[in-house]
Amino acid sequence: MASESAVATRIRAALAEHLKKDVSKIQLQSDLRKDLGLDSLAMIELLFKIEEAFDLEIPNDDLSQITTVGDVINYVEQRVGTPAGSASASRPAAVAAKPAVAAPASKVAAPKKKESRRA
Amino acid sequence: MKSGRRPVASTSSGHGRRVVVTGLGVVSPIGIGIDTFWKSALAGRSGVTALSGFEELPLEGYRSQVAGQVLDWDVDRVPKTVQADRLDRYAQLALVAASEAIEDAGLRMERENPHRVGVIMGAGMGGMLIGEEEFTKLYRNLRPNRVHPNFIPMITLNSASGIVAITFGAKGVNQTISTACSSSAHAIGQALNTIRAGQADVVIAGGADASITPLTFAGFCSLRALSTAFNAEPARASRPFDRGRDGFVMGEGAGVLILESLDRALKRKARIYAEVAGYGATSEAHHMVIPKEDGSEMAMTMRLALADAGVPATDVDHINAHATATPIGDPVEVAAIRHLFKGRADRILVNATKSMIGHTLGAAGAVAGIACVLAVQTGLVHPTINYDDPDPACEIGGISTDVQERPLRAALLNAFGFGSNNAVVVFKKVPSTAASRTR
Repeated sequence: MASESAVATRIRAALAEHLKKDVSKIQLQSDLRKDLGLDSLAMIELLFKIEEAFDLEIPNDDLSQITTVGDVINYVEQRVGTPAGSASASRPAAVAAKPAVAAPASKVAAPKKKESRRA
Repeated sequence: MKSGRRPVASTSSGHGRRVVVTGLGVVSPIGIGIDTFWKSALAGRSGVTALSGFEELPLEGYRSQVAGQVLDWDVDRVPKTVQADRLDRYAQLALVAASEAIEDAGLRMERENPHRVGVIMGAGMGGMLIGEEEFTKLYRNLRPNRVHPNFIPMITLNSASGIVAITFGAKGVNQTISTACSSSAHAIGQALNTIRAGQADVVIAGGADASITPLTFAGFCSLRALSTAFNAEPARASRPFDRGRDGFVMGEGAGVLILESLDRALKRKARIYAEVAGYGATSEAHHMVIPKEDGSEMAMTMRLALADAGVPATDVDHINAHATATPIGDPVEVAAIRHLFKGRADRILVNATKSMIGHTLGAAGAVAGIACVLAVQTGLVHPTINYDDPDPACEIGGISTDVQERPLRAALLNAFGFGSNNAVVVFKKVPSTAASRTR
């Protein structure tokens, strides 16, 4: 695993922590549901963490592409551009309690959607 | 049927008194008032529209942008004797539905012994609108003393059952059942048992929710429970049993049914819609948001409800399904129906009220219950819209995009809730009554 990207290292470490397993158990080919035992809610929790850590929006449509640890890594690498991935390594801003509630609008990540709807 | 009433035994299967529905009231995305609601339901009209938005919050930030909103709501519908601005939207909706149901039942509270009239309402989320507003205000201006004095009475989950009782002077049992998506189905079931037990003669039963609010709606988006693929075509978004379904559509509304003992209803010559014959309630003790995948627990709940009703499974002609249109939920429910009804499963008429109004959470059981009661009364099963491409994973014979007509002996109302809980109510045709005012 010498050539592992920074993204891959972060995701595997995060998964190991999330699942309380040794990081060596988190293999690229590990199936998130079958091998690691994530149910659909645990999958959603995992994706939520990844969205926050990498400042991403993962649309529901993309969930079907993600079944293994390797899929998560590939998906994130594609979405953040280069495998460097350390640009967003700084902690997400949601730590300060007050502004988190006070300014919900500013927290919404810039949407990638084409058609936007106004009522 | 022609001349007067056939004497009907007032008790069955050792449960004490028999209980019937004599009044209905509804506030829904396809109509305020039973007549409009039922016409829309039979016409297969969708009440799902583009999400109206949440003030300064950018709508594009929401994954789901459709909802079953009560767009023609007018706060002036709230009875004048009530100070409407002291009520969250969900309680306002409940009050208007209750008001219609009481009038529909011909219930004259001034003639009733008030301690024999109860209220049991379901609420899944309750006063979230006021809650979210006040939380936001507090964190914005950091002034605890500016939290509105009515915040607490408005957000407590029993504010709807409370205001209904206060408005109409119902002094009997007053309870709120909160079991998420199945709340008001349990409310109907508990109302049945309350009357059976002799604790009340009449129960105003139902439920309400108005959860199309910035935080709650976002929370359901984050759970990835809501449909996101049809934001550009809202009317197509709620698609129970269809291959293209991708989550439920959030709805809002209220439904109320007047339950009373059969004896009493006969004595006062009330119109009887249907008998509330049985109730099954279980916990899957399984998972907070995921049903047991083989449907065995849902099947058990239906079995218990039928046993409680003393109705054989072979008498079930109709099921108003929980059918939220999530990828996981619908196949489990169909598996449960197949599990219980075996070879007969495909001959039961199944429909999903949520296909038209979305998932109204705490109102869902009551609004679908109203559709189920009207189906039993009229023999008309409303369509399931957007069922364009049957998903083999949840295919079952009796679903149709058209109205289906057939005399219905007994019908089930299915409702399954987060927190691993299930409710099933059995409605039965009441033969020979002065009953049949048809809608």
